[in-house]
Amino acid sequence: MASSKLQALWNHPAGPKTIHFWAPTFKWGISIANVADFSKPPEKLSYPQQIAVTCTGIVWSRYSTVITPKNWNLFSVNVAMAGTGLYQLSRKIKQDYFPDTEAVVAKE
Amino acid sequence: MKILQNFWNSPIGPKTTHFWGPVVGWGIPIAAMVDTNKPPELISGNLTTVMCVYSALFMRFAWMVQPRNLHLLALHAVNESVQLYQLSRWLKFQGFLGDKSLQQKNEEAET
Repeated sequence: MASSKLQALWNHPAGPKTIHFWAPTFKWGISIANVADFSKPPEKLSYPQQIAVTCTGIVWSRYSTVITPKNWNLFSVNVAMAGTGLYQLSRKIKQDYFPDTEAVVAKE
Repeated sequence: MKILQNFWNSPIGPKTTHFWGPVVGWGIPIAAMVDTNKPPELISGNLTTVMCVYSALFMRFAWMVQPRNLHLLALHAVNESVQLYQLSRWLKFQGFLGDKSLQQKNEEAET
């Protein structure tokens, strides 16, 4: 029944009574903050930070499948981190290395 | 010699992903340390605030996960420190830390 399924989730070793749940859940904040920063002009983005966010996202997607207990919440959040990081990097690289005339005029 | 052997064979040692995950994770605090020497305009208030809560939670996670991961714990302890520092720089820059003269300077710079 629905209630026993909910109970199973509630009592899961990586469930909401544990840090295994809340730490990865909060990690969504990083991707959400990055999405909020999609509207920031690329010159205000930090290369080191976005590269770090992207790389950790990629590696940690693997990490989350080999720890005990396996943590699919952590897996998905790291996929999102890598995705938003890559997008921010593409915005900044585009502006720095492939500027179109509009961006050049706007800068002046 | 024994220390090296213990490290090599450790459940969180270099033969395992529990080691290499945090190795890559060091990119985040190192990036923040590089950014401490850059102007505060580059600091993202959103991301830095999130990082402060995030590393606090993950210090606990690193302690509780199996196998216990002191490497990860150290990583997040360092990140917590540097992110808090960046947050304080950002707060100061935004004028939230009560330095009215700094706020005026920023307003003049914006116009």
